[in-house]
Amino acid sequence: MKLEDILQSDVWNVDEEPHIVVDYTKCEKCPAKPCIYLCPAGCYTLAGDRIVFSYEGCVECGTCRVICPMDAITWNYPKSGHGIIFRFT
Amino acid sequence: MPTKFDVVVIGAGPAGSAAAYTLAKEGFKTLLIDRGRGGGEKELFGGRVYAQPLREVWPELDKEAPIQRWVTRERISMVNGDEVFTVEYKSPAGKSFTAFLPQLTSWMARKAEQAGALYVNEITVDEIAFRDGKAVGVRSGSDTIEADVVIDAEGVNRLLLERAGLVEKLKPDHVALGVKEILRTGATQLEASFGIDSSEGVSWVVVGDITKGVPGGGFIYTNKETVSIGVVLHLKHAIEAIEAGSLNQHVYELVEGFRLHPFFRRLWRDATISEYGGHLTIEGGLKFAPERFAYPGLLVVGDAAGLLLSTGVNYRGVDFAAYSGKLAAEAVKYARDHGGFTYDNISVYETYLKNSFVYKDLKKHLAAEMLMNDPALFAKLPRIALGLFRELYEQDYSTPTPYEALISVLNNENIGLFNLLPLTLSVVRSL
Repeated sequence: MKLEDILQSDVWNVDEEPHIVVDYTKCEKCPAKPCIYLCPAGCYTLAGDRIVFSYEGCVECGTCRVICPMDAITWNYPKSGHGIIFRFT
Repeated sequence: MPTKFDVVVIGAGPAGSAAAYTLAKEGFKTLLIDRGRGGGEKELFGGRVYAQPLREVWPELDKEAPIQRWVTRERISMVNGDEVFTVEYKSPAGKSFTAFLPQLTSWMARKAEQAGALYVNEITVDEIAFRDGKAVGVRSGSDTIEADVVIDAEGVNRLLLERAGLVEKLKPDHVALGVKEILRTGATQLEASFGIDSSEGVSWVVVGDITKGVPGGGFIYTNKETVSIGVVLHLKHAIEAIEAGSLNQHVYELVEGFRLHPFFRRLWRDATISEYGGHLTIEGGLKFAPERFAYPGLLVVGDAAGLLLSTGVNYRGVDFAAYSGKLAAEAVKYARDHGGFTYDNISVYETYLKNSFVYKDLKKHLAAEMLMNDPALFAKLPRIALGLFRELYEQDYSTPTPYEALISVLNNENIGLFNLLPLTLSVVRSL
């Protein structure tokens, strides 16, 4: 299965404001880009050799914040009940 | 909403809800704040809870709590390619159970509410408010809510303690990433494929190449009609493996590989995926703990305090968290009964915690991380176990003695007989 199909099983109440902000100028200098492999929701992808980030499918685990070697990520939880809605896990 | 409380508790997980429940029962004006919309919807864990410490907080647990299945079978598998070696222990029921954490913590928070705590949702706390070095409340946006004591139950991503300068920023060697799927099989298929009846449940740890050599492993827990499965990766080693090019798959593909593994996939044949998520889990327990558990006006409980045990075989977090919440509440009670919420009084929590099974258990396992911290050793153990069975059972003509089988395995893995003892000892020590 594709990740986007697996993510169809989840429910979100997406905020208009992103809760995570990425400084792409720092990403350009990052050799390994571990976020591409380790963000479980696949929020970080490559377009050519550039990082593309989308916060909408975030599962709020905090992995990107911990692993980013460039300190390029300003991370917070979504405001006021927004974001992922876990029902079973 | 009143603007001043006796205690404000940040986070309605197991630790926060246990603290709020115990405080409310003692008559404290308690505020329990959670960022989700209610119903524990920000909660994710592997799937198993040890019951006895929870019964001390909620004696009605067995009757009332949303328990999925009592665990009656413990399985450990070692995997290398298509080869699998599994041991099973049939255990009595009543020690631990599987649950959906959103449902379980929702029940816990409702108990706190019923006991008289004010439970408020959809509030993301931005900061703990301090005055003269003492915590005096919490801030969310432009609002400040004051309290005599703040209980921090914010969980593993402890942004608030970081912002307060009380802990360092989370590092990759502190944590592992768990990625999880809920597979809906129906009770009949689940019980048939796992070989259990309706009163039984399985907890299953899987070690081997499903994590592509990255220390960590897989887990399987049976619920009533669904199976929880997932993969845990130690982040420090995962990053090293990505840098070395040995991990060049997305982490969801590892879960996919586990779900579709020829040995395991028959357990959830035709299942549909009901939910997918990820969560960080603490490695090294007390190494992750803040310098202190008590600060002026502030007590730290649960994951935020590093109170999670992970040994490679046992994972305990929910019960440790809830128990620490209860102890924090008892420390607040002690302070009230002894003249006020001074640091000297509330810091009795440190003593309560250090005398509890939670801290003693974590301390005992503090040194025992060798297996998980040594990728080479981590990869070798399943190969040795599986190799031994292969040598013993897979032959065309000549049948080996157990000694010959062992020597052959050790040769294949480039380990001398005299290295086996230290290896075995280090493994045994690390479990």
